[in-house]
Amino acid sequence: MKPFFKQVIFYALPLPLIVVSLFVGPSNVVNTSDIIDWLMRSISFSPVPDAQNKQMVEAIVLGVRLPRVLLAFSIGSALTVSGNSFQALFRNPLVSPDILGLSSGAAFGAAIALSFPLLPLQPMAFVFGLLAVGLSYFLALTRKGVSTVSLILGGIIVSGIFTALLTMVQFLTDPFKLQTIVHWTMGNLHNASWSKVRSSALPILFGIAWLFVMRWRMNVIALGDEETKAVGLNPEKEKLLILIPATFIASASVAVAGMIGMVGLAVPHMVRMMTGPDNTKTQPVSIAFGGSFLLIVDNFSRTITSFEIPIGIFTTLIGGPFFIYLLKKSLMVCREV
Amino acid sequence: MGFFVKNLSFGYGENIILHNITLRANAGRFTVLLGKNGSGKSTLIKIMAGLLPCKAGYIEVLGRDIGKLTSTERAGLIGYLSQFHTPIFPFLVEEVVLTGRASYVFTVPGRKDLEKTDEAMDKVGITHLRKRPYTELSGGERQLVMVARVLAQEPEVILLDEPLSHLDFSNQARLLALIKDLVVKGLTVVAVLHDPNTAFFYGDDFLFMKDGFIIEPQKSKDPWDASTLTEVYDTRIETVPFRGRSLVMPI
Repeated sequence: MKPFFKQVIFYALPLPLIVVSLFVGPSNVVNTSDIIDWLMRSISFSPVPDAQNKQMVEAIVLGVRLPRVLLAFSIGSALTVSGNSFQALFRNPLVSPDILGLSSGAAFGAAIALSFPLLPLQPMAFVFGLLAVGLSYFLALTRKGVSTVSLILGGIIVSGIFTALLTMVQFLTDPFKLQTIVHWTMGNLHNASWSKVRSSALPILFGIAWLFVMRWRMNVIALGDEETKAVGLNPEKEKLLILIPATFIASASVAVAGMIGMVGLAVPHMVRMMTGPDNTKTQPVSIAFGGSFLLIVDNFSRTITSFEIPIGIFTTLIGGPFFIYLLKKSLMVCREV
Repeated sequence: MGFFVKNLSFGYGENIILHNITLRANAGRFTVLLGKNGSGKSTLIKIMAGLLPCKAGYIEVLGRDIGKLTSTERAGLIGYLSQFHTPIFPFLVEEVVLTGRASYVFTVPGRKDLEKTDEAMDKVGITHLRKRPYTELSGGERQLVMVARVLAQEPEVILLDEPLSHLDFSNQARLLALIKDLVVKGLTVVAVLHDPNTAFFYGDDFLFMKDGFIIEPQKSKDPWDASTLTEVYDTRIETVPFRGRSLVMPI
């Protein structure tokens, strides 16, 4: 009964949450009863007495809130699935898109694209995200493999380099674009729009579907290279098949919403605490719970104060202490350094 | 012929680990590889398992050139148990054993894979551990889990690198009996063992390694001749008669 109950919660959570999130927002023109009224009338096709109010409700719910809710959910799923996949791939519970330098790499690529109008945003974010992860990995690679600590150090170095390059782009670009870039690096969803949903939905759906297919093989990879090879899989090939879509979805998220820190690190841990490490369970739960998590945090970020706090700041403030806790715990548990 | 290795050399740069090795391991027999630490046993086993590239030399497994096998074919023929395995994630025992089925699985394992996993755990006698996190087990229990993983893979030859290293007395006897049983059923087993006496009682054929070379015991003599072991281990050895054979003791 209990595991069944858990599953119901995870998989049934997103839909009501998405609906509820449509009611949340700082607008004082449209209130909850207006939306319920509008919803009931839309469902029953009954005429609306106040046409102007109807227009306002539709503009806010369909034009502003729905794309934002969808974007928050898909980015939460993408970052969580990506982080979970990286952790299995590198056999390292302390890595995530941020730690591996992916976020700063993708941010740098995207900032260049924002500064030079001819360059495409999504591909630039992906290329530099992949470059950053590759660099972190090769910095940490020795003949004996990749250790937990050297991979994190590699990631910190690469992250630092790309952050410096990003600052340089900000320094050289014109003030109007600078503001856009700075706002966007903080990680926020306040300018979510249907065009952003459209541009990110396809890469994210595709990448998540791919990683979902890889879910069991990630269990094999997580046991180590030699153990993978001995049972007939090519670890290098399998790792690339995980690395590419994981980078793809994380950089697609960075391209539309900037750096939303720590979600890719902390949420996969929460998921594993609930399901155990078996990736045939963590991948679907990461999709459902990761999306719900970011949606809830976003609902807070847009209602808790009269002005809107960028969501990246929020998630980093929650995730930072959590990472310290994990690091302490893993240094006690893992003998391998 | 289970294994046929011809003129195999291996090294990292200047550091040569295996010198022109030629050996045979008969099919359907339990061949034991003995030698000092650092003599190249583990490297040899890894190359025979196809985990390290065989650049200089030729290896045949059950009559097939190992260099021409696809990784799926190789996994169907050769099972390999490594000397050390460091777990990171607390996978359950049954989840670890199930990964032995990787070469038969496309996306997720099916009913047959779960059955083979159950069978393998049963054979090794770890069914009672199946829901325990692998990370919480003792070294010996983990070793048995990895043995079950090799069995779930259903290979025709099995290479074991120090399978007894963390096991207690009773589990050693049990694993050796299991190996004997597999050999009787037609499997070929090659194992690195450290205790010459254990090897002596359970093994069918013996290979000795020293400093990257295979040491040939003189044909006329018994391989358990104290002089062979003295040469292999650089230790003075005394033999004690036991049940019509002899036990060896380092002195």
